[in-house]
Amino acid sequence: MTDAIEKNHNTAKAENLEKPTIILGVIGADCHSVGNKILELFFTSEGFKVVNLGVMVSQQEFINAAIETNARAILVSSLYGHGEIDCQGFRDLCLEKGLDRIILYAGGNLVVGKTPFEVVEKKFKQMGFDRVFPPDVDLKKVAELLRQDIRERFSQEAGDSGAADSTVRTRN
Amino acid sequence: MIQVLLTPRSGPEIEMKKIVSIDIGSTWTKGGLFCLTDSGLKLEKRVSVPTTQNNLVNGFREALTRLLDKDLNTSLKELKDQAEIYFSSSAKGGLRIAAIGLVPDLTLQLARLAAMSAGGKVIASFAFSLTGNDLRKLEQLQPDILLFSGGTDGGNSSYILENARKLAASSIACPVIYAGNIAVADEVAEIMSSKEVVVTENLMPEIGQVNIEPAREKIREISLQRIVSGRGLSEIVEIFGCQPKPTPLAVFELIAAIPTCQPEWSDLAAIDIGGATTDFYSNTESYLETDTVVLKGIKEPKVKRTVEGDLGMRVSAESLLDTAWPYLEERLKELKLDPDSLRNYVANISRELDYLPRTEIEILCDRLLAESCVYYAGLRHIGGWKETYTPQGRVYIQTGKDLRRVRAIIGSGGFLSAATSAEVMRIPLEKLRHYGQERKLLPEKPAFFADRQYLFSLLGNLVGKYPREATSLAVKSVEIL
Ligand code: B12
Repeated sequence: MTDAIEKNHNTAKAENLEKPTIILGVIGADCHSVGNKILELFFTSEGFKVVNLGVMVSQQEFINAAIETNARAILVSSLYGHGEIDCQGFRDLCLEKGLDRIILYAGGNLVVGKTPFEVVEKKFKQMGFDRVFPPDVDLKKVAELLRQDIRERFSQEAGDSGAADSTVRTRN
Repeated sequence: MIQVLLTPRSGPEIEMKKIVSIDIGSTWTKGGLFCLTDSGLKLEKRVSVPTTQNNLVNGFREALTRLLDKDLNTSLKELKDQAEIYFSSSAKGGLRIAAIGLVPDLTLQLARLAAMSAGGKVIASFAFSLTGNDLRKLEQLQPDILLFSGGTDGGNSSYILENARKLAASSIACPVIYAGNIAVADEVAEIMSSKEVVVTENLMPEIGQVNIEPAREKIREISLQRIVSGRGLSEIVEIFGCQPKPTPLAVFELIAAIPTCQPEWSDLAAIDIGGATTDFYSNTESYLETDTVVLKGIKEPKVKRTVEGDLGMRVSAESLLDTAWPYLEERLKELKLDPDSLRNYVANISRELDYLPRTEIEILCDRLLAESCVYYAGLRHIGGWKETYTPQGRVYIQTGKDLRRVRAIIGSGGFLSAATSAEVMRIPLEKLRHYGQERKLLPEKPAFFADRQYLFSLLGNLVGKYPREATSLAVKSVEIL
């Protein structure tokens, strides 16, 4: 290997391997980009390796990125009121694609109209999201929960094999 | 076929250099003698001789001696000081590369692009984990190179290591270029220590970040060794001290250099239809960010080549007929032509590969075949927009490469070099505008040109050393249609 690659290799090891990777994005046809940028800055400063897919992200894109990066969690944002429709079947598609342990969070303006948050939370949990957050959530708490969830779900394993378990056959 | 354009023999001494470029194709070995002076590069003479399959040197020598007006039996050593010599070879239609990636839209797509941009042909591609079937297919195909990628740096490793183990246990014999997650590169090399493994930088170090150059360079290095080995080429390398290029790479480098050296030709594309394959080259920015256009998937490289093994005028005519039937059917109707006459023609030319059309119908058939090569090569090379209506208004989702700004399209290869009208390219590209629900990002108002003297591969050989001169002659030598 050349020196450049060797160096690259070491930086890659140092920076990427130790930090857990998380995927961010705003799902569906949603263009609200401000909160997404804030989340990127926040979670990066909290020591996560953040892969931000930006706005208008499809389920398939979230999943593709999670597979390639061996991500521990996907944090889905939805602000424009269609989150429930956009998120339907997300967990199923993850399983289908071999992401059988990935942590799924949803947040933003998931509530439409006067529906109480608890009702919405329940719906999203039924769809397979691990945690669901209202817009005024304390992000520090989210980071704490995320670290805890990652520890619990991925602690026993050595190496990766976490997000993309190779025992599950996946094809597009 | 010898064409003498100019033979300056006497006259005042001027600084002048003789340069020979030779392209060893699968049927023809083509050569050009160029003269380099203060005023630039000029074509002096152009020859074409049949390629001598068993020993490529014989055809090479014939082309060279004819170009230099020497006796056919002159030894190569004696010819050495007569001119500077460059050459390329399209040995069996380019290197056969198998591509392995993880996610089809991400690392696999990049692996395919890297292979094609290095002048290779993708004969198979595999995503996720290799199945028993995939491995059998690989063993049966025995590619020239295996390009093995997957995972961002520090990203997925389970698929990569699993595939490495499977490949290690397989009977594939070719060199393997590993261009995946760098964090497991050492481990991959160790697992596959029974194979020839070359490690290079990741094709996609981060999501969406495109880094195909290092892998392309490795493919190029291996191509060199492969092209040179066998059939006499090593002798040429030894005597003339020049390395051959794969022909498509020579053209790629010319297309890459033209906008840099000839700024008025800033956004261009070229289509090269051969007997076996159709190559599509483009050099233009692939995505312009605006509020209403969102790019999905990877941002494709500015200089891009795709090559289609199922689209060609002779060897691939049967498979072209299969692929292109929807297009051909529509055209046959428009032209009120009997589908059987086309089918019969394709059956004939498939039997007799160097057949040239004689009747009017046959000429029309050839033209339809060329049109459909353009149509499907364009379909696969050019990206598109899908419209979505958000509550905010209309937004376009772009996948693939935007060619709208391309102002010049150059036709090359046997058929398009000889084209007398732009229609053979314009009609299929126009029809592509209405492909499915997608709006194809086609060149908006392109001018069409023909590489009339078939110089692109020859000039591609010179572009490394003489970028300004070779590109200048390239744009001067094309003829507007
Ligand atoms: C600015 C804005 C716009 C701008 C967006 C510009 C841009 N480039 O981002 C424009 C004008 C384009 C716009 C358009 C629309 N908007 Co608007 N918009 C807003 C507004 C006023 C502010 C959004 C904002 O930037 N907030 C600041 C950021 C920092 O907060 P945030 O986005 O909420 O994100 C934070 C949290 O939600 C949380 N979070 C977000 N995601 C996640 C995920 C996880 C896992 C976690 C833990 C936390 C989390 O953390 C973030 C950072 O602190 C809100 C109202 C409001 N006050 O929220 C309406 C609002 C979001 N918009 C709304 C609507 C309806 C629309 C439109 C449909 C309007 C229309 N009919 O045209 C369109 C939709 C366009 C589209 N395709 O997406 C509604 C949504 C209603 C709903 N969900 O039921 C809102 C709530 C206004 C309202 N009260 O009606 N909008």
